[in-house]
Amino acid sequence: MFLRNHWYVAASDHEIGSKPLSRLILGEPVVIYRAEDGTPVALEDRCPHRRLPLSMGKLVGGDVLQCHYHGLRFDRTGQCVRVPGQDMIPQAARVRSYPVIERYHWLWIWMGDPALADPAKITDYHWLDDPAWGAKTDYLYAQCNWQLICDNLLDLTHLAFVHETTIGNMALVEHAQVRVERTPNGVRVTRWIIDQPAPPAFVKIGGFTGNVDRWQIIDYTPPAFIRLDVGATPTGTGAPQGRRVGGIQMRNLNAITPETETTSHYFWGQAHDFEPHNPDMTERVFQQIKTAFLEDVAVFSAQQKMIDLDPSAPQVDINADAGGIQARRICDRLYKEEQAARAAAQTAAE
Amino acid sequence: MALKFRVELVWQGNDTDSASSIFLTTDGRVILQGRAVSREERTRLALPDEGEMISVDRNLIRAIKEML
Repeated sequence: MFLRNHWYVAASDHEIGSKPLSRLILGEPVVIYRAEDGTPVALEDRCPHRRLPLSMGKLVGGDVLQCHYHGLRFDRTGQCVRVPGQDMIPQAARVRSYPVIERYHWLWIWMGDPALADPAKITDYHWLDDPAWGAKTDYLYAQCNWQLICDNLLDLTHLAFVHETTIGNMALVEHAQVRVERTPNGVRVTRWIIDQPAPPAFVKIGGFTGNVDRWQIIDYTPPAFIRLDVGATPTGTGAPQGRRVGGIQMRNLNAITPETETTSHYFWGQAHDFEPHNPDMTERVFQQIKTAFLEDVAVFSAQQKMIDLDPSAPQVDINADAGGIQARRICDRLYKEEQAARAAAQTAAE
Repeated sequence: MALKFRVELVWQGNDTDSASSIFLTTDGRVILQGRAVSREERTRLALPDEGEMISVDRNLIRAIKEML
């Protein structure tokens, strides 16, 4: 199941240059490059002539992508503009062109009806390029369905077990009160852990010596954008009442782009507002989280293997799954609406 | 024994529709918020005498259907 009428992160800005990049997104082959004027371009990665990936070709004249096989050339709209050896360009010689926007150091691609591609709908990840925050982004290849990553990020009780040496401890499971708020198109999971020891990573980064009040506020917007507001302050200093002093606060920012039904592009970043201009701190914070995320990626692969062996094996839900379940229900509804709109459009066209 | 882990479900249909919270407890119960139905109301509405009754908002029923 893929939701197409949404913006997805296709690449990090530094990945894109004059050398075409090939990326499979929602099961569609896409080639991405930067034209001579710096504008990112995304086209269908398949020459309509003999279907070689256009990403094996090269840019000519700074703006036109030439197929490696027989030299057909395509402009940024996807129109074939030259067929070597003939003047006539077949009418059908064109490839799909995808709307792309560069924002927050990411390239965003619209995979659905281009008429609906409104840049205002891009999810806010401003912490990634806000001068008040230090931030670093990364990419992970996850061998799992995209919704397994959403489940993981919406239920942080797993931190106590998967990440017990970094960002987790048993307080997350045994002393947390979780609030799951569902709106028509979003889920917010709020968790407070009051007057408990800080996890190892927080001790390293924040230097806590005593108990802390810790928060995790998870914002989900469909299909797969999950932004975490996380942090801790020394206990009793007023964090639950909105007073965050003497501690640390970070944003863990996740944008998952489906590759196929069983693999995903996992774009993420970590931002911090303490010592935001200290690159050593940015790197330290980043590495703590990356260590944890690599633990997650191992879990995802193992999960997907088991699911693939028997997709019909029963699945039992527990209370802590509430946020993930609501997110899946929102996606199910949006998918049905999208399919219905597509069917109606097809009927109208006939 | 003090409750250690509790999940509160909050439903918002749109800007005007919302429901009171639903609580999931560690011992498997679902706790709802409502108003106790008085003896007088029971008599007036010809409701059974047995058991305790609460009146809940219709939005809470929608929340239950959508979130549980």
